[in-house]
Amino acid sequence: MALSRRAFGLGLLGLGVVGTGGYFAVKDQPALQGLLGNRTNLFGFIGGEKQAFLADPDVIKALGGFGLELDARVAGSVEMVREPALLSQTPAFLWPSSSIMVDIAKQSGVKVRNDQVVLNSPIVVYSWQPVVDGLTKAGLVTVTPEGQHQLDLKALLDAILADTDWSALGVDALYGRARIVSTDPNRSNSGFMFAGLVLSLLAGDVATASDLAQYGEQVQAILRNMGFKSPSSGKLFDQYLAGGLGGEPMIVGYENQLVEWILADPARWARVQSSTGAKPVVLYPRPTVYSAHPLIVIDPAADRLLDVLVSPRLQELAWTRHGFRGPLGTFTGTADSAIQGLLPAEIDAVLPMPDASVMLAMLAQFPK
Amino acid sequence: MRTPMLRALSAVLLLTMALALAGCGSRGPEFSIVSGSENTVIEPIVQEFCAQKGATCSFKYEGSLDIGLALQSSAGVEQDAVWPAASVWVDMFDTSRRVKTLTSIAQTPVILGVRKSKAEQLGWVGKDVKMDDILAAVNNGSLKFLMTSATQSNSGASAYLAMLSSAIGEDAVIKPGDLDDPKVQDTVKALLAGVERSSGSSGWLADLYVDAASKGTVYDAMWNYEAVLKETNDRLVPLNQEPLYAIYPADGVAVADSPLGFVDHGRGADVESFFNELVAFLQSAPIQQRIADTGRRIPLGGATAKPEPNWNFDPTRLLTAIRLPEPAVIRQALDLYQAALRKPSLTALCLDFSGSMQGDGEQQLQQAMQFLFSPERTSEVLVQWSPADRIVVIPFDGTTRDAYRGTGAATDQGTLLSEVSNQSADGGTDMYACANAALKEIEKTPNLATYLPAIVIMTDGRSDGDSAGFMAQWNAVSPRVPVFGITFGDAEKSQLDTLATQTSARVFDGAADLAGAFRAARGYN
Repeated sequence: MALSRRAFGLGLLGLGVVGTGGYFAVKDQPALQGLLGNRTNLFGFIGGEKQAFLADPDVIKALGGFGLELDARVAGSVEMVREPALLSQTPAFLWPSSSIMVDIAKQSGVKVRNDQVVLNSPIVVYSWQPVVDGLTKAGLVTVTPEGQHQLDLKALLDAILADTDWSALGVDALYGRARIVSTDPNRSNSGFMFAGLVLSLLAGDVATASDLAQYGEQVQAILRNMGFKSPSSGKLFDQYLAGGLGGEPMIVGYENQLVEWILADPARWARVQSSTGAKPVVLYPRPTVYSAHPLIVIDPAADRLLDVLVSPRLQELAWTRHGFRGPLGTFTGTADSAIQGLLPAEIDAVLPMPDASVMLAMLAQFPK
Repeated sequence: MRTPMLRALSAVLLLTMALALAGCGSRGPEFSIVSGSENTVIEPIVQEFCAQKGATCSFKYEGSLDIGLALQSSAGVEQDAVWPAASVWVDMFDTSRRVKTLTSIAQTPVILGVRKSKAEQLGWVGKDVKMDDILAAVNNGSLKFLMTSATQSNSGASAYLAMLSSAIGEDAVIKPGDLDDPKVQDTVKALLAGVERSSGSSGWLADLYVDAASKGTVYDAMWNYEAVLKETNDRLVPLNQEPLYAIYPADGVAVADSPLGFVDHGRGADVESFFNELVAFLQSAPIQQRIADTGRRIPLGGATAKPEPNWNFDPTRLLTAIRLPEPAVIRQALDLYQAALRKPSLTALCLDFSGSMQGDGEQQLQQAMQFLFSPERTSEVLVQWSPADRIVVIPFDGTTRDAYRGTGAATDQGTLLSEVSNQSADGGTDMYACANAALKEIEKTPNLATYLPAIVIMTDGRSDGDSAGFMAQWNAVSPRVPVFGITFGDAEKSQLDTLATQTSARVFDGAADLAGAFRAARGYN
């Protein structure tokens, strides 16, 4: 078992004080391990969108109560299951953001002991009120009776492919051509899933290999138009918030990202809502795709991590603090009032992703 | 009933340990940060936090691209945190994912500050200015500017990429292939011909502007961060110098996002939690207001500096940001800058082969020249010569031995290198005589205005004579030629420092980090 030196030292102290028999009796009880300070330190890679969840003191405490301590480094979902530079660091677990990644990990020779979807979050588009106002006038965005914004993503893609200026889409505040930016599909899951969604939207249905032959070039054109693509969803979302309307007018992300940002500091959200600047708006593409977050267990030491993450306590923290839906796409607790009405209870138009073989063939067409 | 007892015992143990630690005084960790020079003004805020925590914090200032190249190298960076000007360099170069929790602290666009009377003369006050207008002003000789090296500093790279974006036109992202277009290359080359002085550091460039202004030389303009222009203008007020008027190119600017990231060297949880607390401190409302007061943009918080209409500064102004191209295209663009598009350099190298250099000094000097004239090694760190560059090599001792001229073409580099390898250390030392000879070589270069001239003296620093005679001659030459120093062996810096200060240049330590010293010196021309 991997023990940090400090944890090992504390363990030895406990050993001296209590006596050998008691120590080992407690050591074998996962729920009691935290008492000993005898924590298993697990190193692994996670998608950037889960960074704040794992840094949450209550999550750290809950994991600690089960005797676990994580050294989780942020990497793109696609690269963590493929890049030798990352896999050679012998992670105990990988926590990417799409079920397909499990297949790809196996194809890269990762020895997958176990895998299970732990969290869910739909792919959404983040934009700013002035952009949404324009797109609403232009008929690309509609508002549901519950007050959520739906985006006609296919119409937006057509406009981008036709080199349409923002002003022609009713957005006068911005100079130049309309564009939407995702993460790098070769490295990060939200970009990867967005590319799959774009291909399916262009094809008119869940895309097949022959659709890729016909529409692959258009998907590439849309991705080329994005220029530099961030390697991780968390980074792109930070860039969106930091860059504002002028820097990042429209990005692809996960539904939980804005929720989490609001819940981290509801007073800040209230300030943003009452300020004179442009405000963030979440748009639900119709249809969209669902990002599942499967935990991939590589080292036996990480077996327990899986049990812990699907436990009610961690599921509740995942939803009420960080906006992740449960394994079935439902809310797993009572949400804070700050996000009341922000999210639809259910996402009714969800498209499955194209097959892994189609996706991998498409990735091979993008510059790495 | 073992468990409650155990809990009580471990609580006592923890308490004892905590008391023992508290007994040592609440000492924070030693914590080091490698940062872009634009953060000099933020360092005191960080140091306040370090003092509160009883931590010892140190800053090392390097160009953002140097920080990126260090992350890419097998050794990585030594420091506990990186704070480059823009996250793109971490995304591009940190392929082993050494950096954790990269968080943007503030935003600031790279814009063109133009001396206000010059801006009025160009008709740019109160008007949308595009990159085309800037190009026209450079082409008709009415505008020159200071700009950092695009291959060393984020502000220079940002300005350069904005120029490329604009040259491609139609607000398009730079795509693979665009850079091969001769029209695009010509446009950007013409824009870069406007460079009057360069440097590897945005902060140093601003210092240069202010120092020159205090000595009565006013440059036309400077590409730099909006926030650094504010600092510069604040410093120009007491000098009774007119401000730099902010030009925000309407067809798009690059925005620096000043990300602070942790590099885990396994020094323990308290080092990482210190870092996390530092980030939280920098993101707290009162500190955000203080950071905003420096002219930086704080996203979504509402904290902002007061606009200053007299120089067109408005940190709440909506900007159109250029989309940066893909990493491979950025790399290609940087190579293109270094190898072809930048304003060519005219560099006179004074090499000290006096007797005091015998031994280590001489050996280091020969190794330095091996590096400098090996294209495969210099291009690795983006300091390669281009065929358009002009090089003069002058070995000296008590007198100047000879002057060898060449271009930056690979064959010329080979010839220059073999001349140098024939030299051996002997005799007295007069670096001023060599500097004089170098100045004469520079003066007689045809089309002098099309080059960025510099003299680089490589020496252990102990020279006969003094700078007075040389400075008299130097003052009579236009354009101004900075005299850089690179020290070797058991160096004595004071004479070089005097020359560098008098000529607005710098001295670098070649013995400690040869490649680094050259990269730094080359960044300035």
